[in-house]
Amino acid sequence: MENIEKKMREEARRLLEEKRVDVLIGYEAGTLPLTATPCFITAPEEAERLVWNRFCNHNLAKYVHDVISQHRNSQKRVKPEDRKKKVVGVVARGCTTRSIVIHLQERQYGRDEVVIIGVPCTGYADRRKVSQALGGEAVLEGALEGDVIRAVTEGGEKKIAVADVLADNCRTCRFNNPIISDVMVGEAAPPMNPEAEYDEVTAFENLPIEERWAYFVKEMGKCIRCYACRQACPSCYCPVCFVEQSRPAWVGISDDPSDTQVFQIMRLYHMVGRCVDCGSCVSVCPMGVDLRKFLKKLDKDAFELFQNRAGSSLEDLPPLSRHRENDNEDFIYHPEIGGHNT
Amino acid sequence: MSENEAWEPKIVAIVCNWCTYAGADLAGISRIQYPPNVRIIRTPCTGRINPFYIVKALQQGADGVLVSGCHPGECHYLTGNLSARRKFAMLKRFLNYLGLEADRTIFTWVSASEGERFANVIRGVTEKVRKLGPATKLVKSL
Repeated sequence: MENIEKKMREEARRLLEEKRVDVLIGYEAGTLPLTATPCFITAPEEAERLVWNRFCNHNLAKYVHDVISQHRNSQKRVKPEDRKKKVVGVVARGCTTRSIVIHLQERQYGRDEVVIIGVPCTGYADRRKVSQALGGEAVLEGALEGDVIRAVTEGGEKKIAVADVLADNCRTCRFNNPIISDVMVGEAAPPMNPEAEYDEVTAFENLPIEERWAYFVKEMGKCIRCYACRQACPSCYCPVCFVEQSRPAWVGISDDPSDTQVFQIMRLYHMVGRCVDCGSCVSVCPMGVDLRKFLKKLDKDAFELFQNRAGSSLEDLPPLSRHRENDNEDFIYHPEIGGHNT
Repeated sequence: MSENEAWEPKIVAIVCNWCTYAGADLAGISRIQYPPNVRIIRTPCTGRINPFYIVKALQQGADGVLVSGCHPGECHYLTGNLSARRKFAMLKRFLNYLGLEADRTIFTWVSASEGERFANVIRGVTEKVRKLGPATKLVKSL
């Protein structure tokens, strides 16, 4: 991992020196121990700030989109022939590149506007699990020693194996190596455990319908509608989100539980064929809502019905933006037989 | 009369202008009887129907939502119903996964010449929803 970090800094420095990128987005050490935070680098000597470790959990594609769209907006009043292009470099693992693929497919920016430093990934540590392992105590000092996290709290020193606190989405990750990249650092990472990808979903599907609904109500009851999930999600980039639209006002703002449920249903539904399971929404949720259980279902269905995995290749367009004549029709109601086929 | 007997299912039918709406028209002209539980909303095409409409109708107290358009291959806009089919396949499965009964959201095709089929669909859907009883999930109570 240190090797990757060193090479990543070298590549970042080179890209900035050669002026191939205007800004480079990567991770730097966070202000608290055992954290990392996104950073934006514009000068080659700043490349030393970059880090790559088990705490880099953000999906940086979000910032790529933000930076490019902000720059585009600032160029609106410039004559077309005088407009400048801004090229963004980004440190990207598997899920980040999948998000970038989705942006490219949805024509948010051009391939020439982004330079990808691909990094193989072996999963990141879930901060909630780390905190749980430490009994909720604040970390005073911490370091990563290979695959072991050493943390000092008021109660003393503790050692946690990274494998025990790996985020759920990383455990069953199918695409932990970058899908597309301009520069690769490091060797391809060994695969995780994609066979178990839908185990949780299948188990939930087999529950009785009332239990499923009760679970959904319970989870959504926690939601305080801070919209952190939307803010962190690379696929949520609409200039005006449906929750803020007032004509028509799609979602009510009362304290009735159904308003929150409707908001969540629609935000989740917007992720059909667009959720790359990067875990951003889950990791930023202050209330710990189990969003992944519902998002993974959409992913499973999109694959079952349309053989599509979000952002898995540039050619494979999102499932809802295309169609076939012989698409699955089992859910269609037939009055003659008084039901549908499934 | 008990409260349950007084209850009648309320069904929102979101239909396309070119096929199902014309089919409903034909059912009317042909004087075919069908249950009066359905409220029809006309849209240009099923492809124009935002899945949000369905969720919103359920939230506002509809006991069932029916979406109907042209048969695949007969869309006035050529492929509107084909994109709609994909959207609704995902939506129906997803709502059912969350715990909403599958029979509350029903999708079908009715062409402009199928007045009889339209009446049959309404009869069938009303019966299905009647069996489920009044909607309680996702309904806004205020």
